[in-house]
Amino acid sequence: MKNIQREDIYIINRHADLTERGVDRVLKEKIYNDKDAWKKFLRLFFIILGIGFSVSGVVFFFAYNWADLHKFIKIALVEGLIISTTSVALLPKINSNVRNIILTGSAVLVGVLFALFGQIYQTGANAYDFFLAWTLFITIWVVVANYTPLWFLYLILINTTLVLYSQQVAKDWSEILVFTLLFSINAIVLFVTVALSTSKRIEPVPNWFLYSVALASTTFATIGITIGIFEEYAIASPILVSIALIVFALGIWHGLKSKSIFFLAIIPFSVIVIISALLIKVSDGEMMLLLISLFIIASITFVIKNLMNIQKKWSNER
Amino acid sequence: MKDRRSIQELMDYLQTVEERELQFEKDAIIAAFESNNNQSLVIKVLSIFGGLLASVAFLVFLYGIGLYDSALGVVFFGIVCLLGAIWLNKISEKIIIDTVSVSFYIIGFVLLALGLGKLEMNENTICVLFMAISVISLLTTRNFILSFIAVLVLNGSVLTLILLNNNYDLIHLYVSVLALILTYVFLKEARILTLNVALSKLYGPSRVGLLFSFLFGLIVLGKGIIPLSLDYIWISSFIFISVIIYLISCIIKVIEVATVQQKVGIFIFSVLLLLSTIFSPAITGAILIILLSFMVNYRFGFGIGIISFVYFLSQYYYDLNFTLLTKSILLFSTGVLFIILYFFTYKKLAPNEKV
Repeated sequence: MKNIQREDIYIINRHADLTERGVDRVLKEKIYNDKDAWKKFLRLFFIILGIGFSVSGVVFFFAYNWADLHKFIKIALVEGLIISTTSVALLPKINSNVRNIILTGSAVLVGVLFALFGQIYQTGANAYDFFLAWTLFITIWVVVANYTPLWFLYLILINTTLVLYSQQVAKDWSEILVFTLLFSINAIVLFVTVALSTSKRIEPVPNWFLYSVALASTTFATIGITIGIFEEYAIASPILVSIALIVFALGIWHGLKSKSIFFLAIIPFSVIVIISALLIKVSDGEMMLLLISLFIIASITFVIKNLMNIQKKWSNER
Repeated sequence: MKDRRSIQELMDYLQTVEERELQFEKDAIIAAFESNNNQSLVIKVLSIFGGLLASVAFLVFLYGIGLYDSALGVVFFGIVCLLGAIWLNKISEKIIIDTVSVSFYIIGFVLLALGLGKLEMNENTICVLFMAISVISLLTTRNFILSFIAVLVLNGSVLTLILLNNNYDLIHLYVSVLALILTYVFLKEARILTLNVALSKLYGPSRVGLLFSFLFGLIVLGKGIIPLSLDYIWISSFIFISVIIYLISCIIKVIEVATVQQKVGIFIFSVLLLLSTIFSPAITGAILIILLSFMVNYRFGFGIGIISFVYFLSQYYYDLNFTLLTKSILLFSTGVLFIILYFFTYKKLAPNEKV
């Protein structure tokens, strides 16, 4: 008997006189993590804590800005660390997970190097150039390691660079434009990742990555459009809305095709929020608020009912 | 949903692990699988967020029509909403009414708090009243989300009582008791499930509710927002560390550590490592969540545990009153310690592929 889920035991238990010992045995044998899972967990736990703590130790060391230490020694130290960690990662005997964790650590060290550079030479390296340089120069690590957490770090860096750029350099950009860009970048990343992994050109990407990126881009779209509704920037808003329409449609299509309930839930939720904002724009009287609360309840219920029907259909097809 | 054949397979399998003949209510089981009342996490979260949004809009509406001018009106309306939510769940177990009842339930609590506050009722009395209401709802409803919110309100009221009365050190009692309950609930899953049907339905929402309540306690404990006396911090730490040591003894059994020497080594090392966190029980608490969730393969709890672990750890080093250099040395040596630990256990923990 493979494929037994916790929920299956829950359901049968309610309609049968299972004993504590029996249920305990099934849970321990089929549901709980076994020896191999624990070993894997402990190994990863130790190495992640090891690399994580050491790298944060290095970050704090340079944040301390030790005045007596000559700048060349400081730079040499970081560069030495980057070279040695990266070379360790190149050793053939190392397990691929560990290799990737080490590479992630050295990608963080590259950030330390640029921060140090800014600290020593006072190059007016405001935060935006720092993040841009960091992002650009770890590209090789990211591509070579092809490790999801490292890709995630990379994407966070890209987003941060963009936000800082809009705050420090492109101050004339409207809020909507910034949200449109953030939304588009993350949507493109999501689109490419999904396209590559469904066409089997890359290894399947873990769901947490897809879901986080999807959640981020949907949130950016929702905030951008909501701001657009209330502030009426004539130029950016229609562009954002049209991109959002296309991306949302693609998202729904992908959700239906890949049987992923997540996409089918967040996109309608975003649309519900946007419609509610539109309704408030029309009138913010009491009756409208009553209408909105009724609308939200009705629409969420409608979405949930449909999601459950779809799920039922999917499990029948299996 | 499963087809009849796989349901039958499932029942046959369950029969093999039991010693005596089992009585299955076959039709009820098939019906339960068909109605597919087990919603995925996504649907539950959607329900909660929808309910929250609708409640906010409705509360603003009530403000607009001037309901808040009359304290008694607010209280009355709050009671009506709470009763309505519970009643809705009594008459139908359909998922469709989830969002409605969640909204009513949240609105009910908010209005009751506002109204009673206006009537200048003592805050402690309000907390106790809320505890009573949540216990009553736990006893009467079997709905997942409502029970989850009830568990949160119950524990939240206890936490609020502690904070309102400036008895800050009682927070140790709160987190310690919750840690013990949480451990019991996680490890005795089979017992609670088989005790009776009502408890088996409450199991899921209570587990996640207790997890969040425990986490809120840890946040209060770790954030330094309340002045805590250093004399009592060891209480939480002592309870957490003891529970973790107990869990380690369970893990040792699972990974089949052979020699007594190794076992003793593991215990001594773990105790030393955990003792270093004695003044920051929030970190140990997060480790407790991680180990418990991983043990029973509860993915959601595991994720929460990892996130809170990273959060409390950064909080700890951020708040630490040392120079950055000392912090750096501390962090770096901890890192080296774990790397050594990794290599030390490398062979033991390698997957048994060659066997």
